[in-house]
Amino acid sequence: MRVLVVEDERKTASFIRSALQAEQITADLCHNGPDALRSAMGFSYDAIVLDIMLPGQNGLSVLRQLREQRNPAPVLLLSARGEVDDRVEGLNLGADDYLPKPFVIAELVARLRALVRRGNDPKPQLLRVADLTLDTVTRQARRGQTSFDLAAREYRLLEFLMRSAGRVCGRMTILEKVWDYHFDPGTNIVDVYVRRLREKIDADFATKLLHTVRGAGYVLREEK
Amino acid sequence: MTIRARLTLWYFGLMFLSLLAMGALSYYKFVAQPRGRAQRGQETAAELADDTDDFTQISHIVFWCGLPAAGLALGGGWWLTRKALAPVAALTRAAERVNEQSLRGQLPRSGSGDELDRLTEVFNAMTARLDGSFQRVREFTLHASHELKTPLTILRGELEIALREEKNGAPPPPARLLSQIDEIDRLTKIVDGLTLLTKADAGQIALHLEPVRLDDLVRESFADAGILAQPSGIRVHLYACQELTIQGDRHCLRQLLLNLTDNSIKHNQPNGTVTISLERAGEMAQLQISNTGAGLAPELQPRVFERFFRGDPSHNRDVEGCGLGLSIAQWIATAHGGAIQFDSQPGKLTTLVVRLPLRPGN
Repeated sequence: MRVLVVEDERKTASFIRSALQAEQITADLCHNGPDALRSAMGFSYDAIVLDIMLPGQNGLSVLRQLREQRNPAPVLLLSARGEVDDRVEGLNLGADDYLPKPFVIAELVARLRALVRRGNDPKPQLLRVADLTLDTVTRQARRGQTSFDLAAREYRLLEFLMRSAGRVCGRMTILEKVWDYHFDPGTNIVDVYVRRLREKIDADFATKLLHTVRGAGYVLREEK
Repeated sequence: MTIRARLTLWYFGLMFLSLLAMGALSYYKFVAQPRGRAQRGQETAAELADDTDDFTQISHIVFWCGLPAAGLALGGGWWLTRKALAPVAALTRAAERVNEQSLRGQLPRSGSGDELDRLTEVFNAMTARLDGSFQRVREFTLHASHELKTPLTILRGELEIALREEKNGAPPPPARLLSQIDEIDRLTKIVDGLTLLTKADAGQIALHLEPVRLDDLVRESFADAGILAQPSGIRVHLYACQELTIQGDRHCLRQLLLNLTDNSIKHNQPNGTVTISLERAGEMAQLQISNTGAGLAPELQPRVFERFFRGDPSHNRDVEGCGLGLSIAQWIATAHGGAIQFDSQPGKLTTLVVRLPLRPGN
């Protein structure tokens, strides 16, 4: 797997590269828009990590040109937190995902892997992780023979975690995707909800599914 | 009394006195002096009586001509001072429009080089200097918060990688390393808050206005607050929640609500209560959030919306938060054309009141 990282801050760029290398992902670096366009034409990357704030040509216009050139590589945008407009525009221009800065490295890696794996990913009606199932139509969660009642927010949190099963989800990402908060509310609301969810889906079972990744966030997976 | 009225009255008085003096002088010149000369010669009693008549006649003329003349002077003076002070009035009106947000607005100069023109020049130079320093402070904070983000990203990432590498080996990461990540997250929060406020100061944040059902947002944050409050045994009540629609930015309003409810929970006492109510007050939607916390001494209350203000002088770290929550809430309320108020009776009840203008036709 080989990705192109477009980031003007050289230190951040090289740190992203070393983090990706630790995960066996090769990363090529570019520090400005024109270079990025040239590199993207010269090689068919598995994914492109694109910072919106670039000197000269900004990331969104790089993205527009990439898509005009029919470059199929999935693009993950990096944007400052709170720049909701930029992100919406980016997604409209054909970006596949975004991550607010400062981001959790584990999450960047997980998102990149998901982007590359994602072909035509239909949204399944029944989500399953080990013996935990969630029916997205009836909103029924079951584990083995036990079924749970979930409050609206708990359901959305569980659905999000199950759709990203196996991937680390940072608190900010959960806040954005489940609560639709594009700011850091300065509360531990995510942790409180995760604790409640745990009491329901994990407390009475020997195998725990919802794990804390210290310093990063949460992940729903079956530990081997 | 305005300068104009005072000057006009003075003008009237002076005019009247000078007319009197003129009358007295002409009496002396034309009546008293010739009579003195005549007295030295031989005069009859009849002539003397005639002189007395002259005196009464002349003083009548002086009085009855002087009065309209003085009246004319009054009117003229009123007009004259208005003309003279008009540039001052214009200057005042223009200066009133100049405040922190519009310091760039310069007052128009007459170019005549008179005293007022000089004053305008000095005033313009002063506001330009002020504007410059405000601008520099804003730019500084904006740059600082932007510059801080990069090292924070790197710092957090490096730590995270270090933690993961250790996990593959035997010993678990020490708690100290983990608490560093928490502190970095906390710094990031502060930097984010500062960036938001600086951008708001510079007018760089555009609100996405749409009709928003405020009661829906209130119910939603009431549900979140109930769950956030549980660990400390605080009960949250929704006292009233009228159906109200305002023209607002959904994201910002949710942030406002969360900041206020969170504030009421954090500064509460264990097993305390938080009461939320949303009601209509005239043409405004009125949101009240009360808590039973220790409250704030009256002398500190005016400072509660200041950035990084903490009620506790020892900067109590037990109460989490970056010290920008209420400043941000205040900005959101004013950006929506509303206002926020803080009222605390220490030991009893502390209330935050937000008033937001309703959508016309609500």
